[in-house]
Amino acid sequence: MLKQNRAELNYQELVRKARRLQPGVGQKLKIALLADVSTQHLVPILRALFASNGVDAHIYEAGFDTVQLEAFNPASGLYAFEPQLVVILQSVTKLRGLYYESDDRAGFSRSKADGIESVWQAIQSRLSVPIIQSTFVIPYERAHGHFGAKVAGTLPGAISEINRDLCERAQRHASVFICDIDYLAAWAGRRNFFDERLWALAKSLCSLELLPEVAQSIVDIAMASLGRGIKCVVLDLDNTLWGGVIGDDGLDGIGLGDLDEGGAFRFFQLFLRSLWERGILLAVCSKNTESTARRVFQEHPSMILREQHIAMFVANWEDKASNIRRIREKLNIGFDSMVFLDDNPFERNLVRQLVPEILVPDLPEDPGLYVRAICELNLFESAGASALDSQRTALYQTAQKRESEKQHFADLASYLKSLATVAELRRFDAASLGRIAQLIQRSNQFNLTTRRYSQSQCEVLMNDASTYPFSITVRDRFGDFGLIAVIVLKHSGDTLEVDTFLMSCRVLQRGVEQYAMNHIVEYARANNFKSVVGRYIPTAKNSMVREFFGQFGFERGAEAGEAGTEWRLEVSRYIPREVFINQPEEIAQ
Amino acid sequence: MTHEEVHKRLTAVFRDVFDDPSLGISDSTTADDIDDWDSVNHITLIAAVETEFRISLSTREVKNLGNVGDFMKLIESKAR
Repeated sequence: MLKQNRAELNYQELVRKARRLQPGVGQKLKIALLADVSTQHLVPILRALFASNGVDAHIYEAGFDTVQLEAFNPASGLYAFEPQLVVILQSVTKLRGLYYESDDRAGFSRSKADGIESVWQAIQSRLSVPIIQSTFVIPYERAHGHFGAKVAGTLPGAISEINRDLCERAQRHASVFICDIDYLAAWAGRRNFFDERLWALAKSLCSLELLPEVAQSIVDIAMASLGRGIKCVVLDLDNTLWGGVIGDDGLDGIGLGDLDEGGAFRFFQLFLRSLWERGILLAVCSKNTESTARRVFQEHPSMILREQHIAMFVANWEDKASNIRRIREKLNIGFDSMVFLDDNPFERNLVRQLVPEILVPDLPEDPGLYVRAICELNLFESAGASALDSQRTALYQTAQKRESEKQHFADLASYLKSLATVAELRRFDAASLGRIAQLIQRSNQFNLTTRRYSQSQCEVLMNDASTYPFSITVRDRFGDFGLIAVIVLKHSGDTLEVDTFLMSCRVLQRGVEQYAMNHIVEYARANNFKSVVGRYIPTAKNSMVREFFGQFGFERGAEAGEAGTEWRLEVSRYIPREVFINQPEEIAQ
Repeated sequence: MTHEEVHKRLTAVFRDVFDDPSLGISDSTTADDIDDWDSVNHITLIAAVETEFRISLSTREVKNLGNVGDFMKLIESKAR
């Protein structure tokens, strides 16, 4: 990813840089580039930009317009090269001709998307490596002017359909990543992106000026697919999250809300919140008195970010470099997966000097431009699978697909098998505590005891040797559910107590409960507990799990009012339930 | 802009693009005289010339550029 600003994306500079690259420096990555445009101008700048990320890119350039030939021929150069990454770049220029010559314009976009998906499948059948597929840039010509937006069967319409279709299909292929060149073109302006002269002379995808943007996007996606990416944003407070200085201006005096600059900070906070929702940890590192700083999060009516969104809150008068080191240690992540945002150039430079690995982008003076500056750097490219919190939209979409697929299967078991569900059990760890605490606060229905542990209480559980607190993260071939269950087991003599058992209702009826119970009893057996004791404490909302323990052969004990019902199981009598869930390692094979 | 000025600035562009600080060019210099002057670098060269002289060349003009003299003539006719 880019380190500080866009100036790094200068075509001529990158060509020069590519010439001076030392061979063999950095982690070797073999990349196959398939394209229906020429790639000679792209390759050097790709190598230069990969080198900036510590990667020594070895690039196989397939012949001009040989995407299908390379993919479908088992003896092609593509497969002989044994790439670790395949990039497919396609231009609308070729599609334009095909579209106008097509006899079946209504079916055009679909058959194009079919063709591209079959290329992915051919590659996937021989290589298990990430594939980066470009979108098509929607062309600018309009035979109907604005009216064309409501006319069926236009070229721009067909191209948007292909793009949408490709993105949907890519959701079903975990190893296919979309490089949304249409977004880049829209951002830069299509009239700046297309270069008709360069197409005529050299079959170039776009103007030389914008080629580095395309290359950088490919690098960003490649790095994310290698597991490199930002996991944590460390935030300054005064003049970064709100206007003014809380210690001087007070709760009523800081700029935050709808008026003037306040809106800029609100926009910035909304963006940060969207990062949090997709699993990025937010941390605060501010020169402030802690209680004063926290009060803004607790009491200011216009704050978008609240304490629950902050994984670690450091406000004191020590230097920021030391505080950032402390945050890193506590969250147990690498400096290279952290970014530090501060309006103050002095603090930025100090941190750059003392913690060179952490990313410290320049922020513009005008807070209204913070989000723009950060988006231009594309700091938060993601490979999707590691998100802590769910990407809700995608979830709802995939839930629909699951439903529609469900109808094709005669019985539940074969349906469950087809989902290829993977569940990962993990003892609480620092990186997940935020999400765990959040789930504990939120879960009402599938929650046996409704004990609302705070994040710091979870941390205590995490470090308690006589407790086994674990979470379950689930994904299937349609998508990622993230962390969706929390279970806390407590040692008590020869009895293992199920202190907490809660789950997100999104994953009911697919065997996760059975999987969890199998694990609980296995754990009890392995650690020589004679029995497992569970408890159901009724609330206004959790009646759905009243008989939960009963279905696993637990025996109902006495009912004790608010303390609920106790259920007891002799470990030796438990019969493991049949589940269709895999552990992560089984899939990896 | 004088002929000398154009020549001086064009030389700087060539040196930059072909990464050779001692490169000298004359009107009769062609792609055969400079090792790295291939079709790929030709495009890079055009882009650099356009940026340097703030001019824009058409596809046909680019096609017809045979030697440095052609570059000089075109730049002199277009640059202000």
